[in-house]
Amino acid sequence: MIQTVSLAPGITLRCIRQSRFKHSCLSLQFVTALEESSAALNALLPTVLLRGCQKAPNIRAVTACLDENYGSSVSTLVRRVGDIQTTGLYCSFLEDRFAQEGDRVLEEAVSFLLELVLRPVTRDGVFLPEYVEGEKNNLIATIESEMNDKRSYAAAQLRRKMCQGDSFALSRLGTVQQVRAITPAGLHAKYRQLLSTAPVDVFYVGSAQPQEVARLLQPLAQGRGRVLPRPNQSPFLPKIPSQTVREPMDVTQGKLCMGFVTDIVTGSSLHPAMQILCALYGGASPISKLFVQVREKQSLCYDIGAGYYGTKGILMVSAGVETRNLDRTRREVLRQLELCQKGDITRQELDAAKESYFSSLRALPDSPGSLEGYFGTALLSGGEMDVQAYRESLERVTLEQVVQAAKSLKLHTTYCLEGEEE
Amino acid sequence: MKQIHYPRLEETLYSTVLENGLRVLVLPKPGFSRKIAYFVTDFGSIHTEFSLDGQLHRVPAGIAHYLEHKLFDMPRGDVTPEFAALGANPNAFTGYDMTAYYFSCTDHFSQCLQLLLEFVSTPYFTDESVEKERGIIAQEIMMCDDTSENRVFDNLARGAYQEHPVAVPILGTQESIAAITKEDLYLCHRAFYTPKNMLLCVVGDVDPHQVEDIAMRILPETAPMPAVKRTPREQSLDTPQKEVQEQMEISMPTFLLGLKIPPMAWGEEGIRQEFVTDLAVEALLGESSELYMQLYDSGLIDSSFGGSFESMDGAAMVLCGGDSQKPRQVRDAVLRRLQTLAQTGIREEDFRRMKKSALGRRIRDLSSFESTCYRLCACKLTGFDYLEFPRLFASVTKEDVQKCLQDMAQTPGHCLSIIYPKGDNP
Repeated sequence: MIQTVSLAPGITLRCIRQSRFKHSCLSLQFVTALEESSAALNALLPTVLLRGCQKAPNIRAVTACLDENYGSSVSTLVRRVGDIQTTGLYCSFLEDRFAQEGDRVLEEAVSFLLELVLRPVTRDGVFLPEYVEGEKNNLIATIESEMNDKRSYAAAQLRRKMCQGDSFALSRLGTVQQVRAITPAGLHAKYRQLLSTAPVDVFYVGSAQPQEVARLLQPLAQGRGRVLPRPNQSPFLPKIPSQTVREPMDVTQGKLCMGFVTDIVTGSSLHPAMQILCALYGGASPISKLFVQVREKQSLCYDIGAGYYGTKGILMVSAGVETRNLDRTRREVLRQLELCQKGDITRQELDAAKESYFSSLRALPDSPGSLEGYFGTALLSGGEMDVQAYRESLERVTLEQVVQAAKSLKLHTTYCLEGEEE
Repeated sequence: MKQIHYPRLEETLYSTVLENGLRVLVLPKPGFSRKIAYFVTDFGSIHTEFSLDGQLHRVPAGIAHYLEHKLFDMPRGDVTPEFAALGANPNAFTGYDMTAYYFSCTDHFSQCLQLLLEFVSTPYFTDESVEKERGIIAQEIMMCDDTSENRVFDNLARGAYQEHPVAVPILGTQESIAAITKEDLYLCHRAFYTPKNMLLCVVGDVDPHQVEDIAMRILPETAPMPAVKRTPREQSLDTPQKEVQEQMEISMPTFLLGLKIPPMAWGEEGIRQEFVTDLAVEALLGESSELYMQLYDSGLIDSSFGGSFESMDGAAMVLCGGDSQKPRQVRDAVLRRLQTLAQTGIREEDFRRMKKSALGRRIRDLSSFESTCYRLCACKLTGFDYLEFPRLFASVTKEDVQKCLQDMAQTPGHCLSIIYPKGDNP
């Protein structure tokens, strides 16, 4: 399915050739370690690149170029997968055959992307201070706005309290203080360093031949120095004892987040079983144990679910619950996990959990974005790049293995966001 | 079944109307795994007054959404696990003037479709189950109340409209949902969930004739007429309030500015007006506009800023908003720019480029099954075939957009809804 072309040492193009879609996508990511000293710089860089290039030196000109290319879009792409942070751009554009005769949308889209990446607007050899300051303010606002979404705020608080010393405690976008400290020269130095030494993953989904896309991307290969190795992934090891943290806030509805640790990680033999357990216990499927018991049977909440982070070996349960029901919900979450550990799981629950995975995997080839999202992320996490093999490993999961996975989970941190009581 | 080819879009649409009045649309997508089906009723949160069999009824606010939740109950139990067993994800949403029930699946499509048609047409409510749902919906209302995006819009609607029910949140309020009984739910189901008032739309690698057969088999052969909606008309284009403010636990002020415009016409004319209005909004404050660049460069807006447009039975608003430390300055700049643009007009090359971009984006959006299904349904309910959009776009002129800007400049009705962080001194 995937065709790989090496553009230069450390720059790899991966293509999925598909003519079914009306649009194509192309992502370009610099791959680097998620570290406190660089997280904010990496998060800021693509926003400054989008402010303008030599061919289109301001936002209005950039948009005009994209509009002229049939409403193409370019957006920032800053991913965090385990200990890896990527920084780059993602573009989406119409397939050539829907454009007017003679218009070459792909060629124009790639050429413009390279303009943005390789020829940003500079003054005295660094980024424009007004662009850097403007985007710093925007990034700070984005970081602070995490407070607006109480669900993601609570999840971030859990990570910070639980994973001190691990990259999982860090925010993908850095902190406000780190952003404030960025200068145009410092950012430009980081930019030059990434261009020169960071591994680069390029992903294309569309109808063009890989060789054609590679040819259009050739300018990327210039000016490369010695390429750094790709960062490793390491699992989370708790450095503090189990704890419960309560934070008061003026909210109508409370939030509960519970973090569990397991030694099962991406690449472990029980990794597929843990994924099935997570789906069955608290997955998106509306027949997961948490959904059925906590929401439907007891009307305790509207919103509850669990997520498993394979690179770290962490499972997180999140719920929006009335403050007075926080402790009751916590007990129920633990009780449902205990049932899994005792093997109190029906055939239907196991089959439905597997089916929800099979269904997503079947739907994977249905859009350029879902293909880029899956493979782009799997490359970073060390996940399965062979979809058929992945499907088979999930199919083979037995009830006993799911129980083992459940037993491996130990509650480490409980975080409660508590509204004021009336 | 009628079959229409759209060679330029590489699509073929199948459509028919059953004996019982149900409109059916199928857009086959060969080679794709996913299939989605939307079963939609022309009934939403604003339709709380209607007459049925000669009698006028008023039902509590939030009932369309309540009904949406409750329909998943069948006499044999909640239908959701039955979908899950087929590997399908069922869901639903309630809008101001439309409610949709849908699923997506990769296998067992015909069984899922049967189930969808069955559960939506089977009303089953008990006092107990209605009571239990109240708790869940109360939680949902609370969750929305804690979300600034929802609050800023609801406050705007309340500030901008006097008689029209867009002024009431879709979910209703804690008070209004407390009044809902099972009798109310049965009444609304009878009034609006008749095939004559509904539409089935399927997008995916399916056989259109099979879809028609299944619909004919599951749904009744004959169906009663739906209720007649008696939505209160908004008397004035002016807004009762010019500003609405609130405080929440957020980090930075967020705002939404609404310009009240006359409601869209029905059918193709109305959809054409929507396209024209979209382009007018783009010209005024889209990312390629002079205004956007000025506001962005001076830090008055950030990338959260955008314009859009809300349209429903009897109401329409041009909207723009985002996060800003100085929302009033943004409002003043937008209104000033609108006056200027209405006088000077737009440049031919800007118009041409905007149209090219809008058309390109709409073609790209056809890749999204959900967006395509939604647009097919929303347009069909107003009597327009969505896939005709290239033709409609081609007919839009620079003069159309200029006239729209001039009309917008003359409207007296605008309202700025702001949410400030707690402790801020606005």
